[in-house]
Amino acid sequence: MGSSRRIECIFFSEFHPTLGPKITYQVPEEYISRELFDTVQVYIITKPELQNKLITVTAMDKKLIGCPVCIEHKKYSRNALLFNLGLVCDARTKTCALEPIVKKLSGYLTTLELESGFISNEESKQKLLPIMSTLLEELNATGACTLPIDESNTIHLKLIEQRKDPMIVQEYDVPVFTQNKDHFIKSQWDLTTQQILSYIDGYRHIQKISAEADVELNLVRIAVQNLLYYGVVTLVSIFQYSNVYCTTPKVQSLIDDKSIQEECLHYVNKPGQRASLRDVFQLYCGLTPGTTVRDLCSRYSQQLQRVDERKLIQFGLMKDLIRRLQKYPVKVIRDERSRPPKLYTGCHSYDEICCKTGMSYKELDERLENDPNIIICWK
Amino acid sequence: MSRQSSVDLDPGSEPRPPDTVLQNHGEKNSPISVILVSSGSRGNKLLFRYPFLRVSENIASSAAKQRSPYVLSSTSDVTDDPDGDSRFSDIILATILATKSDMCGKKFELKIDNVRFVGHPTLLQPPHTIQANADPSVISCMHNLSRRIAIALQHEERRCQYLTREAKLMLAMQDEVTTLTETDGTPQSPFRHILPKCKLARDLKEAYDSLCTTGVVRLHINNWLEVSFCLPHKIHRVGGNHIPPEALESSLKAIRPYHALLLLDSEKALLAQLPLDCSPALLRLIKICSAMKNLQQLAQDADLALLQVFQIAAHLVYWGKAIIVYPLCENNVYMLSPHANICLYSPLAQHFAQQFPGHDLPSVLAKFSLPVSLSEFRNPLDAPVQEAQLIQMVVWMLQRRLLIQLHTYVCLLVPPGQEPPGPPEDEPLPVSRVTGRSLSTPSALSFGSPTSSDDMTLTSPSMDNSSAELLPGGDSPLNKRMTETLLASLSEHEQQAILSVPAAQNPDDLRMFARLLHYFRGHHHLEEIMYNENMRRSQLKTLFDKFRSVLVVTNHEDPVISLFQSPAGVTRCGPDTLHTSPGPSTAEFTLDTEITPSAVHHLPSQCFKGFRNSVVK
Repeated sequence: MGSSRRIECIFFSEFHPTLGPKITYQVPEEYISRELFDTVQVYIITKPELQNKLITVTAMDKKLIGCPVCIEHKKYSRNALLFNLGLVCDARTKTCALEPIVKKLSGYLTTLELESGFISNEESKQKLLPIMSTLLEELNATGACTLPIDESNTIHLKLIEQRKDPMIVQEYDVPVFTQNKDHFIKSQWDLTTQQILSYIDGYRHIQKISAEADVELNLVRIAVQNLLYYGVVTLVSIFQYSNVYCTTPKVQSLIDDKSIQEECLHYVNKPGQRASLRDVFQLYCGLTPGTTVRDLCSRYSQQLQRVDERKLIQFGLMKDLIRRLQKYPVKVIRDERSRPPKLYTGCHSYDEICCKTGMSYKELDERLENDPNIIICWK
Repeated sequence: MSRQSSVDLDPGSEPRPPDTVLQNHGEKNSPISVILVSSGSRGNKLLFRYPFLRVSENIASSAAKQRSPYVLSSTSDVTDDPDGDSRFSDIILATILATKSDMCGKKFELKIDNVRFVGHPTLLQPPHTIQANADPSVISCMHNLSRRIAIALQHEERRCQYLTREAKLMLAMQDEVTTLTETDGTPQSPFRHILPKCKLARDLKEAYDSLCTTGVVRLHINNWLEVSFCLPHKIHRVGGNHIPPEALESSLKAIRPYHALLLLDSEKALLAQLPLDCSPALLRLIKICSAMKNLQQLAQDADLALLQVFQIAAHLVYWGKAIIVYPLCENNVYMLSPHANICLYSPLAQHFAQQFPGHDLPSVLAKFSLPVSLSEFRNPLDAPVQEAQLIQMVVWMLQRRLLIQLHTYVCLLVPPGQEPPGPPEDEPLPVSRVTGRSLSTPSALSFGSPTSSDDMTLTSPSMDNSSAELLPGGDSPLNKRMTETLLASLSEHEQQAILSVPAAQNPDDLRMFARLLHYFRGHHHLEEIMYNENMRRSQLKTLFDKFRSVLVVTNHEDPVISLFQSPAGVTRCGPDTLHTSPGPSTAEFTLDTEITPSAVHHLPSQCFKGFRNSVVK
């Protein structure tokens, strides 16, 4: 999305002792009109209360992002040096990712000034212009920029993509790699992640990974959440032959979208076999409320000679073609004396209860099926 | 540092546009505060802000106050900042928000660290501050509200100098309080005093409160002009995330005449909320609205054009007063929504118990664990009143998004032949192509072209062997050619597969199949085919069964209206807002509602432009 974050202009503004707020340098030249600057200068060279804050102001179809800096010292005329290195984009641009860059730049310049008077010295100040040009070019082209400023200082900048917050990872969730595991470079990740990596197979749930890899549960959760954030894994539910699934409207994308078709067939094929689209689609559509995976296997045994049912389910969950129907027990009738139900309230699924109590699905089922006070909801 | 003087008309002129600023706080879609700032001959003044700083913060001298908040490190979390607005003292707000004249008349947006100010400087404007990372659509909605309040205030100012008066009042109060503070030393917030005396202040406070809670704002500026506004992000929530207005709009565009409108409030409550001068068409529609009638029937009953009904329906949906469903009938299949809150202790469960004594919500919900059609609940021995109660319960659950409706979708997928796997080019059968090639026979009716034949209001076409076509039956060369034409768009392999189905030997069946071919892409559900083709459910089901070796059938919710079916935790429906369905008689349960096909199948999108206005005159 480089074009939507295109930086149109980089400017350096300061408070001149006699002329007041002005733009000392801007690349490209003459980008900011006199009018525009007059309108927004109060937000560029600001009152003390607004200094050191990231200020984004939208005016005349442009967005200006800057961080006004003030360095107080007797040596400066007026006892203070005020400047602001900012970026200009189109008003419609989403500029969140640029903010850390502006902040970092203002920090760099402040340091440079304090160390060697980089800005107050007229000669060294001129170096800003080529620096700004390079910044503009490289940030727009690659989103990153490394610039040596002088013998001892180098600027490193990178545009970081903002992502959505990941969901909370539960103990009964199962992480599965979204891409081929071989593409994964282990060394890039932290130690915890490296330790649990080999246990992520799309079938082990968090609790099991924690037990087998001998890593504390919360650490596993956080590591997986991290992987989730970067889109390296996605979460599916525990696989059991007693599970029930149903199709979502998205299942039609198998018909509409050629790329998903191919990906699917490739993923769910039994080695040495060639499944057809009809096979796979029939299997997905055979998943209905009330039908367990075991039922599916017996009804569609012919198709399942060519298709791996576990991979089928996995793919379907990853791509949202199907969804799992979970059982929720609710204790509806109880006499006044008994304690209120803690787990059987309709808020906790079988998966969760089994994980928390250590019971197996079957045990829980036996316990609840025969209890007349408990009803089961599926959703 | 020089402070530029604000541009002014003349020394004695009225104050320039106040900027109301809403700052966001915690909740991403709620404002943090409302601020009114004016800029005039006497400089920039902060007229009013709400919520105001607590008194204790004003104890220290104001100079010190200004210094300390800015020591806050910029690493403060975006969401956790209960005193977000205390970072900005009154004076600095006045300074930064009083904009120059060239910024007037346009959207004003300023972001300082984690706080975003949105406003519309004009001759009166409240900028709103919202959470820095708020969705751009939230920002533009807030801006919209700013603008509306501005326009209203502008109007009132011209008419009777409303703003000048209010501003004078506010400034006077502030001066009074300052003198008071100076004399007896107890710090006060001037804004607290302004509230009881100043209507505009109260309006702004109300706007803020409403935005934070319900997302619906209704103000009467100067007790005269109404400003209504709704923040769709608050009203339409899907399991915690809001539905973006764009998604809402595209869903609304896909409404068909066979859909129905389900009101979320009772008729009485809804009518009470409408302004006095609202459109009579809206009133008529609300009065005859029923979840069992589709939009086309509503249009007939209310004597309105279908287009108008669509517009009103869209309007009601946008404002969170209604949702789009498929009309209730016996054959509807419902299932528990994955987002449904089935917790024993939820407020929903309590409401339900109040509304339907003797029944508890989880038990009723459990009945919908597996997809079930309403006809399965029917017990001939039951009294009619029990059936009526069942309908009411279903309506109640639909209103609260606890149920979703499942439809049957059909897809053509032939088994692979000796060729490489995967069906050959599955081009969707272009409807236009077929109509282009079809002869000018009455069968062209089925493709949705307008017809003069209003005899299409057949309610129960006789459905034995001949299909609903008006063609002479049998093996006429005309029919044969047409069938061939329809099938010609498929690949050789697909045609072979279809023709090898035993049922294809029957020319009528084959013809029906060919005619309906374009529905077999998995995007049209059974009811839609029934509506468009004026066919019965049993007919279609038989056909599907006969050709099952080349078709795949599945059930899921309708993606077009599933947007409306998902949200959980809709708190707007209280115990007394049950939409009462008409009459308990069993006659209400129509078997296979045969909806008369309308000539209008696709609505032009123009009808949705401007449906979003509210009543700002």
